[in-house]
Amino acid sequence: MGSLSTAFGSLGIIMKAVKILERVLTTIPIMFGVAIIVFFFIRLTPGDPVDIMLGRSAAATQREIEQLRQQFHLDEPLHVQLGYFLGDALRGNLGYSYIRNKPVIDLLTERLPATIEMTLGALFISLIIALPIGILSAVRQNSLLDRMSMAGAFLGISMPGFWLGIILILFFAVRLQVLPAQGRLSYDVPLQEVTGLYVLDSLLTGNGRALEDSLKHLFLPSLTLGAGVAAIIARVLRSSMLEVLRSDYIKLARAKGASEWGVVMKHALRNALIPTITVVGLQVGVLLGGNMIVETVFSWPGLGRLVVDAIFNRDFPLIQGAVMIYAITFVLTNLVVDILYTYLNPKITL
Amino acid sequence: MNRVRMIQLGALAVLVLLAACATPTPQVVEKTVVVEKPVEKVVEKTVVAERTVVVQPTAVPGRDTLVVALARAPSGIDPADHSSREAETVIRNIYDGLVTRDYTSGVHMELAESVKWLDTKTLEIKLRKGVKFHDGSELKADDVIYTFERVFKTNAIEFPKPHTALRKGFLGPFSSAAKKDDYTVIVNFTAPWPAGMQMLVHTQIVSKAYVTKVGTKGLIEKPMGTGPFKFVSAKTGLEEVALERFADYYGGAPTLAPVGKACVAKAVFRVIPENSTRVAALLAGEVDIITEVPAELVGTLQKVPGVQVKTVPGTRPIWLEFNVTQAPFDNPKVRQALNYAVDKDLIIKKVYNGLAKPLAGPLMPTNNMADPSLKPYAYDKAKALALLKEAGWTPDASGMLMKEGKPFAFVIDTIGSMRPIAEAVATMLRDVGIDASVRVWEYNVVRPKLLARERQAYIGDWGDSAFDPVGHMEAKWHSLVTGSTYGRGNFSGYSNKRVDELIKAGETENDPAKRKTIYYEAQKLIYDEAPAVFLVLPEAIEAASARVQNWQPASDSRENLHDVCLK
Repeated sequence: MGSLSTAFGSLGIIMKAVKILERVLTTIPIMFGVAIIVFFFIRLTPGDPVDIMLGRSAAATQREIEQLRQQFHLDEPLHVQLGYFLGDALRGNLGYSYIRNKPVIDLLTERLPATIEMTLGALFISLIIALPIGILSAVRQNSLLDRMSMAGAFLGISMPGFWLGIILILFFAVRLQVLPAQGRLSYDVPLQEVTGLYVLDSLLTGNGRALEDSLKHLFLPSLTLGAGVAAIIARVLRSSMLEVLRSDYIKLARAKGASEWGVVMKHALRNALIPTITVVGLQVGVLLGGNMIVETVFSWPGLGRLVVDAIFNRDFPLIQGAVMIYAITFVLTNLVVDILYTYLNPKITL
Repeated sequence: MNRVRMIQLGALAVLVLLAACATPTPQVVEKTVVVEKPVEKVVEKTVVAERTVVVQPTAVPGRDTLVVALARAPSGIDPADHSSREAETVIRNIYDGLVTRDYTSGVHMELAESVKWLDTKTLEIKLRKGVKFHDGSELKADDVIYTFERVFKTNAIEFPKPHTALRKGFLGPFSSAAKKDDYTVIVNFTAPWPAGMQMLVHTQIVSKAYVTKVGTKGLIEKPMGTGPFKFVSAKTGLEEVALERFADYYGGAPTLAPVGKACVAKAVFRVIPENSTRVAALLAGEVDIITEVPAELVGTLQKVPGVQVKTVPGTRPIWLEFNVTQAPFDNPKVRQALNYAVDKDLIIKKVYNGLAKPLAGPLMPTNNMADPSLKPYAYDKAKALALLKEAGWTPDASGMLMKEGKPFAFVIDTIGSMRPIAEAVATMLRDVGIDASVRVWEYNVVRPKLLARERQAYIGDWGDSAFDPVGHMEAKWHSLVTGSTYGRGNFSGYSNKRVDELIKAGETENDPAKRKTIYYEAQKLIYDEAPAVFLVLPEAIEAASARVQNWQPASDSRENLHDVCLK
């Protein structure tokens, strides 16, 4: 009997794995769609990459200009250029940055860990802020706490990242001098890079000094980036908690004599988390986009600044590569959200 | 029970929140003490040392490291192949050149003992003896020749793909270089090169043996020169470059005090793109020197104890260029009138906090060939209106200028960083009855449109860090010759045969007195024909903490860390 249920269990896991694989495979056409759209959109924007590139050096002859165009295939019709791009992309080759003289994939991979670290930091801080606020303000609806936290949430949503960032820097770095104003690590703190996520690397290499220093550096950017997201999550969680708390099964749970703590955390929160997680998943996209500003304010050497620079220089391959990274992250995050649904509510299948 | 649970939950939430916020609190103490505590330690150690008679100099964290914040990442770290001032700043602390420049426009011998023109096209360079590269080898003539060829020859840079060095233009009409002996190089040029000394400042010497051995890739990964600092490490994208003092440094230019090794043991360049963050990092004590301080923050910074603010005339003059190929700006009277209609002093006072100089013509006043007899167009509204009347523009009842029933209206194009001055100019022009408005563009988008004469007017700047008309006059005021360097920055469409002749003549005239005559004539012509409103030359503003000593910003944006000491 036991072995039968184990067999069913493993069958279920296999089924789930197949479903997940299916979903991963469906991202491929999405990626192609994104790639093609980005390919045409950046070519629609005015500004010629070769012109920009040569504008920087003092002298360029017509021959040099033509050579560069040939080198980058910019002298060929758009559909041929697209063919080159898609062909290369299929082989995992995202091309060569015009401006930085480096393979795009190298540029992206060396910057990506910084962006991931900040995004995770922001997500972590926003959840730490939003979960208790969302739950408490629903449970104590219309109380002073509720009103204050919702006012705080409004403030969080309305504050632009660059402004909040600078205010936090002025307060924590300049006035209190307890946190650094910029960068990922102090220049005099050595750290052996393993993954590129400094907090993780400090833990992996058992480097206490780097751990403390990298956490200090991570805090303000994460708070800046996470504040708006925390506000949104708190509001969504509050309203879905309110809805769930009014439902019949909550009344039943209470009637059965379950403790209020149990009702709130076990019965209500679990169900209220479904719409909340959807929003969290969508916010990952916002976090990735918001990175560009926060990375500039805190001179965080991540993907956002690289992309902004690439856009100004019309560095087509780099823009294409970066957007594809963003798209993959977004699609995969949504897949993770869908998988989480099935755990929160077994009735939902992938 | 439920209530207790809720309180527990609430307390937990508050604790988590507090933990999130308070984690750094213990570091508060640590951070503020960092500067103080070691001093105490030094004292303690000294006391111990007196007893045991062993003086152990204690390394004081942060004390021996100078941190400089740059606004942008260097565009490269290969002396032959970069295109930004930030790159040059970092490179010139690792590599020395044959000649160097002081904080303004004076040229001094550095690796060269003497530089002599044998005739108008042949240069003899005698090298200082005993100069060491960071690897201990001695600088010889072969290194200089190799450096020149690497910069000039087509496709001489092999990595990542064979290409020509971005610094090629800085060698002017270079033709070949040959060794006379180990310490003498003879350089041949295809034409006279009067701007040569100023231009040679921008070429730094690499070691032939080293680059041949490690290749360009190796040179980028571990730069190695004869400069006051050795390369230690760099982070991704050159966001941070760490250097340390080179113990065997020959001392630098003998005519520029202090001569000798670098004062600080370690130096770090760090990129902080956001202006406010750069200032905050200085105030927080995280960095010692910051570049590109916005003019509006100067007043505030000057009031902060422990901060020093210094300025130096910049090298990026600003003009409002008119499209002279179209009405109404095809009439010189209109252009002169607008020069009189703009109050430069007010702009300097309000937009630049007093930290700018008015321009008197096409060249900045600090250019070695600027004509001192030219004076900036004075603000004179009546004169402006009179000239406009002569050109047929008369005010209507509301004061707006009209000609043949049409109002005088045009758009001033500009880029984001120039918006404040553009808005100020537009307001002043509206004051004389011209309907001027501002449109902000991305430079790379508007540039081709300006060269195609599709726009009406443009406010922008053009770098002139060689302090010589070459690199500047042919770019801005020579007629546009497509596919050449002539007129590459000529956004006004200005074309005057005589000016073109003069610019070409000045490029090859070696006699400074004759050159002055040539350029003075060209400047006067451009001044009178006024293809632009000659606006201002903003000053370069930098700030440092009070512990930074013997520091001075340079006109060419170089951070010369060799001279700087930390208190």
